[in-house]
Amino acid sequence: MQLRNTLNEFGIITRVLHWLIAVGVIAMLALGSYITRMEVGFSNFWLFGLHKSIGLTLFLLVGIRIVWHVISRPPAPLPSAPWKDRLARWVHLGFYALLVLVPLTGWIASAASGLDVVVFDRLTLPQIAPTSETVEEAFFTLHWGLTKLLAALALLHIAGALTRRDGTLRRMILGRATAD
Amino acid sequence: MTVPPRAPPYSRVMRLCSLLLCFFALIASGAVAAPQSYLLDTEQSRVRYEVDFGPDIIDGTMPVSRATVVVDFDTVANSQVDVTLSPGGATASFPFAAQALRGPKVLATDEYPDLTFVSSSVRPEGTGAIVTGDITIRDVTRPIALNAQFFRPQGTQQGDRRELWIEMTGAVSRSAFGADGWSDLVQDEVRLRILARITRAEE
Repeated sequence: MQLRNTLNEFGIITRVLHWLIAVGVIAMLALGSYITRMEVGFSNFWLFGLHKSIGLTLFLLVGIRIVWHVISRPPAPLPSAPWKDRLARWVHLGFYALLVLVPLTGWIASAASGLDVVVFDRLTLPQIAPTSETVEEAFFTLHWGLTKLLAALALLHIAGALTRRDGTLRRMILGRATAD
Repeated sequence: MTVPPRAPPYSRVMRLCSLLLCFFALIASGAVAAPQSYLLDTEQSRVRYEVDFGPDIIDGTMPVSRATVVVDFDTVANSQVDVTLSPGGATASFPFAAQALRGPKVLATDEYPDLTFVSSSVRPEGTGAIVTGDITIRDVTRPIALNAQFFRPQGTQQGDRRELWIEMTGAVSRSAFGADGWSDLVQDEVRLRILARITRAEE
């Protein structure tokens, strides 16, 4: 089991980071959608803390993934139609941008509300925005919009992975595109 | 006029009060004829609030910083209550609620450190009184009517007015004062229950 990526294969670190982030994003899209609709009370208020805790974790994992890909460059995409390559590249770039911006806008909006942003039930994050209803509303709106964009990209990404028959999905699961 | 004993709302009062007599029972004894000034015991006096939060209730206390209480046992209408609260010292039964309460979206205590009530009239009502006046929150003043009951502490003789408890209840609409933060989570009506221990000022 190799840790680092090679010219043709994904190492275990890249794959673990990919799947952790994938599961986290899907869970957060569902959780975020749920908490905006639920009737808030004592019994479920902790879900906001869970949302922030997972969001911060994803933010850190994306940071680790970016640093790791500088240290160990991922393999180039498998050959396919040029338009598919371009689309895949833009989807990936969009993912990285959104995976940084979505948690960041949520953090800024929460901080601007004037309440402490507490994660894991004990850690208070730095106040990264001034207390301001204008900032809070603007960034929650941005957070909401970017989240919808992230959901759309996730669907596109999953559709691409499932429809490609060239071993792309297998490579992200097992490291290499073929059984050889 | 004497009213039946009535169970007080707080355990501290439970210990202190055995025979609960209303304000007007005290008047009936006729021991004092002129308006009397009373001093507030800020340590034992509390303002409790509660507000609906989804299916639950957030409650807490707010300290009383100063008060002027004048009671005229002969002419109730001459009575006067003037109370200042310190919302910056508010507590809440729920994490984040006290911080939210003190923050700029609700009471903005950094900018508005005082919350005041000044009575304009007191009239008898049933076994108690209705105290009307103006309440000022965030520099916005609105009229309010509070139901008031006066009690005598346990162990004191009927007609002894040196020490009294006042319980006042009422409600405010927080949006009327611009304190409408988190209106999607927390209801607009804030119910108030004020329990004040007052001691007659020495002449």
